[in-house]
Amino acid sequence: MSRFFATGSDSESEESSSADEITPKAPGTTLKQSLLLSDDEEDTKRVVRSAKDKRFEELTNLIKTIRNAMKIRDMAKCLEEFEQLCRAFLKSKNIVDKEGVPSFYIRLLADLEDYLNLLWEDKEGKKKMNKNNAKALSTLRQKIRKYNRDYETEITAYKENPQESADEEEEKEAGDSGSSSDSDDDDDDDDDGVSAKAFLKKKPESAPDASKFLKSSKGSGESSSSEDDDEGGWGSDPVGSGSESSDEDQGKSASLAVVFLKKTHESEKSADKKVSKRKKIKKEHLEEEPEEGEGEEVEGGWEKVKGGVCLVKEKPKMFAKGTEINIPVVVKKLNEILQARGKKGTDRAAQIELFNALAAITAENNLGQGILVKIKFNIIASLYDYNPNLAAFMKPDMWKKCLDCINELLDILFEDNNIFIGENIAEDSENLAISEQPFRVRGCILTLVERMDEEFTKIMQNTDPHSQEYVDNLKDEGKVCNIIDRLLDYLETKGSTEEICRVYLRRIMHTYYKFDYKTHRRSLGLPAESKSEQDQDESEGEDSAIIMDRLCKFIYAKDRTDRIRTCAILCHIYHHALHSRWYQARDLMLMSHLQDNIQHADPPVQILYNRTMVQLGICAFRQGMIKDAHNALLDIQSSGRAKELLGQGLLMRNMQERNAEQEKIEKRRQVPFHMHINLELLECVYLVSAMLLEIPYMAAHEFDARRRMISKQFHHQLRVGERQPLLGPPESMREHVVAASKAMKMGDWRTCHSFIINEKMNSKVWDLFPETQRVREMLVRKIQEESLRTYLFTYSSVYDSISMHTLSEMFQLEIPTVHSIISKMIINEELMASLDQPTQTVVMHRTEPTSLQNMALQLAEKLGSLVENNERVFDLKQGVYGGYFNRDQKGSYQQKHGGYQRGGYRNQNQNNY
Amino acid sequence: MYSPEDTEMASTAGTLDSPVKQIQIEGMVVLKIIKHYQEEGQGSEVVQGVLLGLVVEDRLEITNCFPFPQHTEDDADFDEVQYQMEMMRSLRHVNIDHLHVGWYQSTYYGSFVSRALLDSQFSYQHAIEESVVLIYDPIKTGQGSLSLKAYRLTPKLMEICKEKDFTPEGLKKANIGFEHMFEEVPIVIRNSHLINVLMWELEDKSTVADKHELLNLSSSNHLEKSLQLLMDRVDDMSQDIVKFNTYSRNLSKQQQQKHQYLQRRQQENAQRQSRGEPQLPEEDINKMFKPPQPPPRMDTLLIAGQVNNYCQNVKEFTSQNLGKLFMAEALQGHN
Repeated sequence: MSRFFATGSDSESEESSSADEITPKAPGTTLKQSLLLSDDEEDTKRVVRSAKDKRFEELTNLIKTIRNAMKIRDMAKCLEEFEQLCRAFLKSKNIVDKEGVPSFYIRLLADLEDYLNLLWEDKEGKKKMNKNNAKALSTLRQKIRKYNRDYETEITAYKENPQESADEEEEKEAGDSGSSSDSDDDDDDDDDGVSAKAFLKKKPESAPDASKFLKSSKGSGESSSSEDDDEGGWGSDPVGSGSESSDEDQGKSASLAVVFLKKTHESEKSADKKVSKRKKIKKEHLEEEPEEGEGEEVEGGWEKVKGGVCLVKEKPKMFAKGTEINIPVVVKKLNEILQARGKKGTDRAAQIELFNALAAITAENNLGQGILVKIKFNIIASLYDYNPNLAAFMKPDMWKKCLDCINELLDILFEDNNIFIGENIAEDSENLAISEQPFRVRGCILTLVERMDEEFTKIMQNTDPHSQEYVDNLKDEGKVCNIIDRLLDYLETKGSTEEICRVYLRRIMHTYYKFDYKTHRRSLGLPAESKSEQDQDESEGEDSAIIMDRLCKFIYAKDRTDRIRTCAILCHIYHHALHSRWYQARDLMLMSHLQDNIQHADPPVQILYNRTMVQLGICAFRQGMIKDAHNALLDIQSSGRAKELLGQGLLMRNMQERNAEQEKIEKRRQVPFHMHINLELLECVYLVSAMLLEIPYMAAHEFDARRRMISKQFHHQLRVGERQPLLGPPESMREHVVAASKAMKMGDWRTCHSFIINEKMNSKVWDLFPETQRVREMLVRKIQEESLRTYLFTYSSVYDSISMHTLSEMFQLEIPTVHSIISKMIINEELMASLDQPTQTVVMHRTEPTSLQNMALQLAEKLGSLVENNERVFDLKQGVYGGYFNRDQKGSYQQKHGGYQRGGYRNQNQNNY
Repeated sequence: MYSPEDTEMASTAGTLDSPVKQIQIEGMVVLKIIKHYQEEGQGSEVVQGVLLGLVVEDRLEITNCFPFPQHTEDDADFDEVQYQMEMMRSLRHVNIDHLHVGWYQSTYYGSFVSRALLDSQFSYQHAIEESVVLIYDPIKTGQGSLSLKAYRLTPKLMEICKEKDFTPEGLKKANIGFEHMFEEVPIVIRNSHLINVLMWELEDKSTVADKHELLNLSSSNHLEKSLQLLMDRVDDMSQDIVKFNTYSRNLSKQQQQKHQYLQRRQQENAQRQSRGEPQLPEEDINKMFKPPQPPPRMDTLLIAGQVNNYCQNVKEFTSQNLGKLFMAEALQGHN
């Protein structure tokens, strides 16, 4: 094999390449060809020989290998080589036809047959052969028998006179080796071939480089034939675009081969066409012509773009040949540019330039809005394409361009009512020409805007939130909103409900997290302090609540995809909660049943859900619904991963848990900084709610053995506070809450108040609320009330009776409030007391067990379980069929035990309620 | 001056077959122990020391003592034995009784029945047959009545400890319950005249309030503490019982399996015999069914002992307090 290749590549010539032209058709020779070609490029020295020489040399080489294989009895090799030989012989059939079957070939066939027969007879030798060889032998024997039938006469002739043929062969071999470069003397009839050869010799050597060669051939082609003109010309030929796909398949090597083919073809044209043999070859060339042309055009198409790029610099040359600029031409041009899209070598920036230039030309030539819209679509698309990977974000100038472009596009769409756009308009049913019919353009403005919105989010995610840059970028939010608004207007008249839902959701997404200050101010009855005209404008606009309501309700009614509706509901709730419309928000949340199945939603929706729940909790807190606030925040806070759950940052974790890929995905989910919910505020609200719930509860259940914690996290903070070796004045928000809790435990509401509401906490937390003062008042009141409850729980055993006046003074609450709180506690059986109306005092009943009694009850309970356990041991020992007496005893014991338990329960019940 | 509880003595004295039937303590020893606790003991911390004396017939006379120094983590290389030897040698030099006859320990609300006490008393009693452990309860003493008790391990427990067989089987065989673990030895305090003089003087000096500590009516604090401790022990006990329960369940399950296996084997063998085939080879049945590790029961016993102890304490305390309350009521009615 290798030898064969070596010789093949050695004998590189024009003829060889022309002969090779057939080889692609032969199976299993692609490798050979590529090898040949690679040599082609390097090898500048070309040796020119006749086709016959080449063929015969190939044959002799194969024969040599076969003889070698015969000598070492390698039947497998023999078979392989023989098959190749047959193929090679077939290839050189036209030569053979003229010259007759070469004698060396016949000799080999005869020898091989003899040899095989010999081997076949030799049973012992056959046995020794390995399996492969034996198999090969039988196949080869059959093959050669069949094959030799065609050459029976020649073989018999040879067998009669073997000597003569052998001599001839030897002579030939000698000649072959001697004239490896030129074999003129060997073949007498090959005069024409020689002349052709001589002619060819000059040309390729003058232009060995493939591309140069192409050009030169083109040059010569133009002058000589019209066919070439087509190929070399500017490629407005129709097949050019069609051949696009074939380009990749064929690869460079193929086109290179084609280049050579073409070259030979041309050279032959200019050469004398006398020889019939040549003609035959040429015919084959002609047959190849279509393919060849295709390849050529691919080349052309490839170059075309390049040409376009350099032409851009001198704009007028875009349609250089002074063609009339009309719509088909522009569309064609557009397609040309588009074809380069997404390819490796394409300069994306240049492409955008190209589009722009095209747009300008179109505008200049007044080709109508249709085509302009189409070009704009493509510009925006290529702007999005500019960044190759998903994580990267747009550069500011690109972003600006994108915004402008979309705006312009919208301008056009608004101006002209005659344009229909849609993604489902097929390419060929587009109507771009100015005519009576409306324009039809393929493309989806909604998708573009959605993509723009996503890009905006990406930009915000990738900007440092504490820099001026972020502020600058954030200013674009107005523009984005503006575009979405315009699109909304547009689609409301033209779009389908689905599209309207989508654009509504975009609008909602840009609205829900913004606090509507002007409405807030208006609701407070304050005059709108308009500082500028813009403010004035804004305050005249619709309330965001009304907008939200309208948009969301439309989506609830019309949307068919679950996701949009879910998002809309969540945003709606968030918006309600943000504006302290607690009941609406809560009802909507409960009605939607989102809590049940939110875990099946995708992560971004879950993040939105978490954000909504948190906002809901904070809203409840502002409204003084401490319990609701606590419940809403519990899930988020108890996990300790609030930051992650709200999509406001990644937690530091081991690399094992999260690889780089996951991290990227998570990063993409992050909420931009301007939408963040303050985590400290969140935690503070949670802890204060927990404190207001937990401290009275702890006081009420001090002796309860089975007391449950309401909030684990709060207890954790308390423990951390206790573990501190040295207690200084509180610094952080948590320390403040812990200190306040301790004060509250003693019923000292003043200290508690001063810990919760002070300068530090104001600046850290409370000032972040829109209605700071109201929240603080609510908080103080809650602290007073809960402190009173705690005080009564803790110290009621000390009092026989206590005056409500005293209590009201102590906790700075009005007497009715005190009265109501105490009444509530009495009704709930939390406080064993009764109210004495005439004297306005609370009379304690003292039915609460003392600590010692509590202890005794606990002990009794424990002993009960101990005995039960012991019984079990007994059961096991005595078996299930244990003595009658024992069981009886056990039963009686359990009765007694039950009595204990009941007592315990009763007391517990008293504690609980 | 102080006589140990007569009832206790009556119940235990009869069963005594140890070399020591009575303990006579010098007043000085008592005072030294009290002083030691006052100076070094705090809260639930315990103080310990060595008792010195000699045996006269069946009476153990404790004539002197010295405390173990409290050593902290810093001087870990402190050699206690070395210190004791040194101390005893020194005492011998000044011609004081120097025979080692036991040790003393303070207690917190009567919680002293523990593994540590058992181990050290065992080693004492193993080495010096007549040695005892004196338990001093400072809290009861603070309430106005000196509480000092002497304990020895019963011979049965000594045997078990020697064999270190704390499995349920072993304890069952030894037939030992928590009430037979320790025996209390009656104590007699003997004062020299000098001590008597000192006592008189002290009594004279002490204020009236000090003397009336005995009549303190408050009870809840002490009882709460006792109950708390009692509850802790009961919890431990519960756990132990659960453990034991699991063990016995596992055991019986395995027994069943074993039984089944044996039966199957027997059948198989019978069949084989009827067919005239050789019997199945013998296998080590114990290897196939490894019995589960039995839980050590000694701790449970100790806990039971401790619970018993607490209960006695509480009973004693409440009966005394009830008496006081009745007395107070009577006094009030009288007024």
